[in-house]
Amino acid sequence: MARIFWVTCPKCQGRFYCHYHDLRHTDWLLLCPYCQHRFHQDDSPRIDE
Amino acid sequence: MPKDLSSFINRICAEFPDQVVTVRRPIDPNAFEVTAILQHLDDRGQYPMALFEQPLNLLGEPAEFPLVSNIFGTRERCALALDMPPEQCKLPLSLEYARREREQIPPVVIDRAEAPVKQVVLRGEEVDIRRLPIVRHFEGDLSAVITMAAVMKDPDTGVYDVSFVKGFPKGARKAGVSIHSPHLERILAKYEQRGEPAPYVHILGHHPAFFLGALALTPYDSDDYATIGSFLGEPLRLVPSETWGEKFLVPADAELLIEGEIPPGERTVVDPFGEVTRLYQAQCLRPVLNVTALTYRRGAWYQDIFSGHQGHWNLGAIPKEGSLYNALQKRFGNIEAVHLPYSGCGRLACYISIHKTREGQGKEVAIAALPESWTFEVIIVVDADIDVFNERDVLWAVYTYMDPLRDLDIIHNFTKNVFTSAFQGQRILIDATRPLDVAFPEKFRMPPEVMQRIKLDEWIEWGARPARERQPVSRSEV
Repeated sequence: MARIFWVTCPKCQGRFYCHYHDLRHTDWLLLCPYCQHRFHQDDSPRIDE
Repeated sequence: MPKDLSSFINRICAEFPDQVVTVRRPIDPNAFEVTAILQHLDDRGQYPMALFEQPLNLLGEPAEFPLVSNIFGTRERCALALDMPPEQCKLPLSLEYARREREQIPPVVIDRAEAPVKQVVLRGEEVDIRRLPIVRHFEGDLSAVITMAAVMKDPDTGVYDVSFVKGFPKGARKAGVSIHSPHLERILAKYEQRGEPAPYVHILGHHPAFFLGALALTPYDSDDYATIGSFLGEPLRLVPSETWGEKFLVPADAELLIEGEIPPGERTVVDPFGEVTRLYQAQCLRPVLNVTALTYRRGAWYQDIFSGHQGHWNLGAIPKEGSLYNALQKRFGNIEAVHLPYSGCGRLACYISIHKTREGQGKEVAIAALPESWTFEVIIVVDADIDVFNERDVLWAVYTYMDPLRDLDIIHNFTKNVFTSAFQGQRILIDATRPLDVAFPEKFRMPPEVMQRIKLDEWIEWGARPARERQPVSRSEV
């Protein structure tokens, strides 16, 4: 599997992971699978690589 | 009568009712209720075809379509899909798959008036894919996801490719599409290089032989519609699409078709989705689909795959086993059987049994099998008396015959498996055959002639006879 990074939704605190090469350090808004909140990764209270 | 999903469902219901469960009450696929039912069954070791008569759609309304899942949940049903007896579901099924994979039956084009999939036609703003009973599978999935397969057409050669895909609804007429088939990716790349929208049709529901044929490992320039005909045992009936007419032909006997175009360069966020290895696919960027038409037959079934479970694993194992057996047998001539077990999700592990005549053959066969699939992580070779479809026996051979210093090899620096984060480009080969070059213990067995003579049903009665009914046996009778 490709490299991933974990993020935390700033709204519901749900954690999920994203494709590093597609999304890390980009301006794409991530989409929380738990609450459908769209957020920039910089707004994630925690990122694990 | 052309083969279709309804005929297969009816056959299973009529001839194998113990392979069917029906949920008659309303159920919400988007609230994980369908997969909860399937998971409960799976936890019990039961894998029936599941019919849901009253699913809700994504808008929370009663859907127009009943839902069917887990069609491929057992190898027996996969055998039935190819008109084989269910008891031939192990290696014979895989070998038959490999045989059909090498043959083709050209498709035929029929008039739209005869095409069941044209019984209802919705175009443009009439279409709302949220009216489908799309299943949300697992807790961390981004959304309900459309599974099954899609077809695209090479713009240069006109050859059609059918492969399994995923669709993430983004609105009434929009979806993110996750294409992970090399052939479809290649077709899409051609359109993107030209700056043209790519025609794309999602096929929701057809006879299971259609989808088994879609998994055939054929060259890029091979027409999948013709290969699928081989699996159906009859020409696949095609009809002009709504969006492109005769320029793009679609399966006439499908249940539901979603027609759309993939605009070049446009991307959207899709995933997570619980995939075949039971791990979530990471959120990523994938192409966008603009839906142009929805056509379906009256009374159409909406078909879904229960991802990361037996049906999904069978769709990986069966296509690979037969072709791998043929490739190895051609080279070595001593292959007994091949199996990709459920423990490896039908992709990650491979068990091979051989008639070993000299030391070293086990390792040679394992090395030869490795490049046959980029998804293999572990290959175990055993003797012919070990049933590769019985994992307990395969592991027994590993625990009793293998010397790790001699028989276990780690191969480094292969391509990383996209399905898992384990192994990281490494592969493990295990020769679990009984050594021939050293004095080694022998596996016990019952005398064959006694096993042949003793017919179990002639000797045993299930249940114990109550003590007061038992007659004492005199010493002279013993």
